[in-house]
Amino acid sequence: MKKIFGLLLFIVCVAPMTMRAQDTPTLTVSAKKQVVVGERFQVVFEANAEGKNFSAPSFEGFTVVGGPFTSTSSSFSMVNGSMSHTVKCTYTFALQAYKEGTFHVGPASLTVKGDKISSEPFDIQVLPDDGSHANASSGASGGNTSQGSSSSNTNDPQVSGKDLFLKVIPSKKTLYVGEQMMLTYKLYTKVPVSSLSVDKMPSYAGFWTKDISDNNGSLRQTSEYVNGVEYTVAEIQKVIVVPQRSGALTLDPMSIECIAQVRTESNRRQSNDPFDIFFNDPFFNRNIVNVKKELSTSTVTVDVKSLPANQKPDSFAGAVGNYNFRSDIDKTELKTNEAFTLTLTVMGSGNIELLQMPEPVFPPDFEVYDPKITVSPNVTAQGLSGTKKAEYLVIPRRAGNFNLAPVEFSFFNPANGTYSAIQSEAYSIHVEKGSGEEGDGSIYASNQEGIKYLGSDIRHIMTGKAQLKPKHSVFFGTPAYFVILLAMLLTFIVLLLVSKKHEQQKQDTMANRNKKATKVARGRLKRAEQYLKVKDQDNFYIEMSQALWGYIADKLGIERSKLSMDTVSEAMKEKNVPDDLTKQFIDTLNSCEFARFAPGSAEEKMGDLYQKGIEVITKAERVL
Amino acid sequence: MSLLLAVPMGAKAQQEAQQWFEQANAAYNAGSYDSALMLYNRITAADLESAPLYLNMGNTYYKMHEYPMAIYYYEKALKLDPSNEDVKTNLAIANLAIVDKIEEVPQSFIVKGWKGLGNALSGQQWTVLSLVAFALLLVAAFMFLRSRRMGLRKLGFFAGIFFVLLFALSVVFASQQKRASLKEDQAIIMTPTVTVKSTPNEASVDLFVLHEGTKVEILDQADGWNKIKIANGSIGWLQAETMLPF
Repeated sequence: MKKIFGLLLFIVCVAPMTMRAQDTPTLTVSAKKQVVVGERFQVVFEANAEGKNFSAPSFEGFTVVGGPFTSTSSSFSMVNGSMSHTVKCTYTFALQAYKEGTFHVGPASLTVKGDKISSEPFDIQVLPDDGSHANASSGASGGNTSQGSSSSNTNDPQVSGKDLFLKVIPSKKTLYVGEQMMLTYKLYTKVPVSSLSVDKMPSYAGFWTKDISDNNGSLRQTSEYVNGVEYTVAEIQKVIVVPQRSGALTLDPMSIECIAQVRTESNRRQSNDPFDIFFNDPFFNRNIVNVKKELSTSTVTVDVKSLPANQKPDSFAGAVGNYNFRSDIDKTELKTNEAFTLTLTVMGSGNIELLQMPEPVFPPDFEVYDPKITVSPNVTAQGLSGTKKAEYLVIPRRAGNFNLAPVEFSFFNPANGTYSAIQSEAYSIHVEKGSGEEGDGSIYASNQEGIKYLGSDIRHIMTGKAQLKPKHSVFFGTPAYFVILLAMLLTFIVLLLVSKKHEQQKQDTMANRNKKATKVARGRLKRAEQYLKVKDQDNFYIEMSQALWGYIADKLGIERSKLSMDTVSEAMKEKNVPDDLTKQFIDTLNSCEFARFAPGSAEEKMGDLYQKGIEVITKAERVL
Repeated sequence: MSLLLAVPMGAKAQQEAQQWFEQANAAYNAGSYDSALMLYNRITAADLESAPLYLNMGNTYYKMHEYPMAIYYYEKALKLDPSNEDVKTNLAIANLAIVDKIEEVPQSFIVKGWKGLGNALSGQQWTVLSLVAFALLLVAAFMFLRSRRMGLRKLGFFAGIFFVLLFALSVVFASQQKRASLKEDQAIIMTPTVTVKSTPNEASVDLFVLHEGTKVEILDQADGWNKIKIANGSIGWLQAETMLPF
């Protein structure tokens, strides 16, 4: 702007003064020294005298879009009686740069009154297109940088893309998943804009977004220089976006529609009315035309990197940013059924609203209510930050000492590309038995409760002896199995035979004794009879007793060592001897024994016993 | 008895296998399942097997999240020792991790009771029991035949009847388990998804879809195809390479 004004000043003020000198005709050139590829601009050659044979330099590196447009003006002025005549010839070229680089523009020449005058050669630097001109270069009559005295015809109500454009400025081009990024939508304008409305909001596929623009009606306006040109800049929208997946994500363009107020110079109506003249003054005489213009930003592609997989802590739950973490507990000494509060606080910069709070693990006997989560976000120029709190109200139901394991919160810090993990304090909680144990009987009718299973898993491996054996070796049905069975059977048979034989032998001896029993008894009785005759009491009773005992023992097969009254009566009962005979036999035995150890009994008693003995033996002989 | 049952083989080889077993268990406990599996496989490669070995292999596969293989080895362990509670529990848990959930055909309580009784002891235990029952039977018979006391003879008689029955039962169950262990008439599906066909032909009708880890019973075999039956009674044909018989 200032340059242009300077030039104008030069033209308006200095030129006539030099004209007055009227000595040397000059050819000056004015053009932008720096242009952008695709930009249209003007090169103006100006001579202060009329001349002919204007020869233009070859504009190498540029396309001549139009020109040369020639215009001549002359003026006469009388100052202090001296008249001066001023002539101004301009030759205007419209050029367009099509490739970048620095190009030399040679001198143009003009013949004035036979003398050839030349302009200064100069260089034009063509800069690469920086994107902002993609829209800008589409303007129709490009390069009308000044609407002042230069004779460009802006009668057609158009606003060039250079005068009014929309730009999106991402705060970064590459970022991690979950990392926040700010997008600023700015409207650059050189013309007044009366209203604007957003046509299409970007969809932000793959992003979590938060609009943080504080447009409470009025847009904040600043001024900014772009390529050395001053623009009025209005921030239309400021959005924080957080990519939720990795890859090259594209941000759709935003398009707005705005109404620009373009001032057009009215056709100067020649009028003598002083008011008219006054209002025809360029200062007032500008019609304002509303031009509807649709603007859109270019699409922006950001490269979203996925979070590094290595060294990712187990507790990592997707938090990206720079955080601090701590925990607070209001009391660690309490009674059963009293509540305590555990507060976990995460503060720092990052997407605090989506942040997943770490969850503490409480002992199973604790009653834990759902945490109360409060978020106090804070939006600054750096992006989102704030504090997130989770308050756990916990009621221990059982007395005892409990340990609260520390809670770990981990996050990824995109600034240095590493994971960090912060552990909270570990608490030991001492719970005493409260007095109101019965008070909450409505909840706990009885103090008993089932075992709480906390998880399930397969049973552990078997250790110790492997008990290995060859595959498919089943002992059942093998020859060895049958051999064992057979061996047992053979043992059984052998044992049976041996036992049978033994029995046989035993029986044989018994039968022998049985057979001989009568004979032996008879011999003994005979000897007793002889003792009876000689009245030898002692020997008589010995013989009688032996005859009776011996007979019954042999007959019944009782061994001598086991011989007694009881065994005899039992054995006789087994052999189905009538009870009266058994009684008689036992009585005889009894009286015999009695007489034997009680001396001094009568002789007739001996004879009586002898008769009784013969009688029972005879009777027993019949039965046995 | 175990001395008697151990078919003579190199005592040194047995000792070595036991060492592998212990090393593999240590590797399992340390969480290095790959090396544990390698060592267990070395034991099976030596043609040795046991229920503890198969249980541990199943556990190793379970921890490696290879559930079909885990189920395969649990089933193998159960075949050797049908009453092992650890194996039964782990098999039930592993079966929760597979896709197919098949409702079993309900069995009458008599069949269930008979099977339960037969699986109460392992084949080897039934074999031992049959020998013990036989020995006691002979003792009872001897008592009955040779005792002169009436009470002992009565005792011998009833004990003899009891041991005859016990012997018969254990012989039946032992032979059943032997038949089952020698016959590979069950299999675990190892292919992630297979379609059961109506005939042993790729072009035949699709009947139903099975997923890896499902147990099937092999009823018949025909040129690379197996006629299979699943727990709910459905029958169809599958290619033999999709399953691992045991």
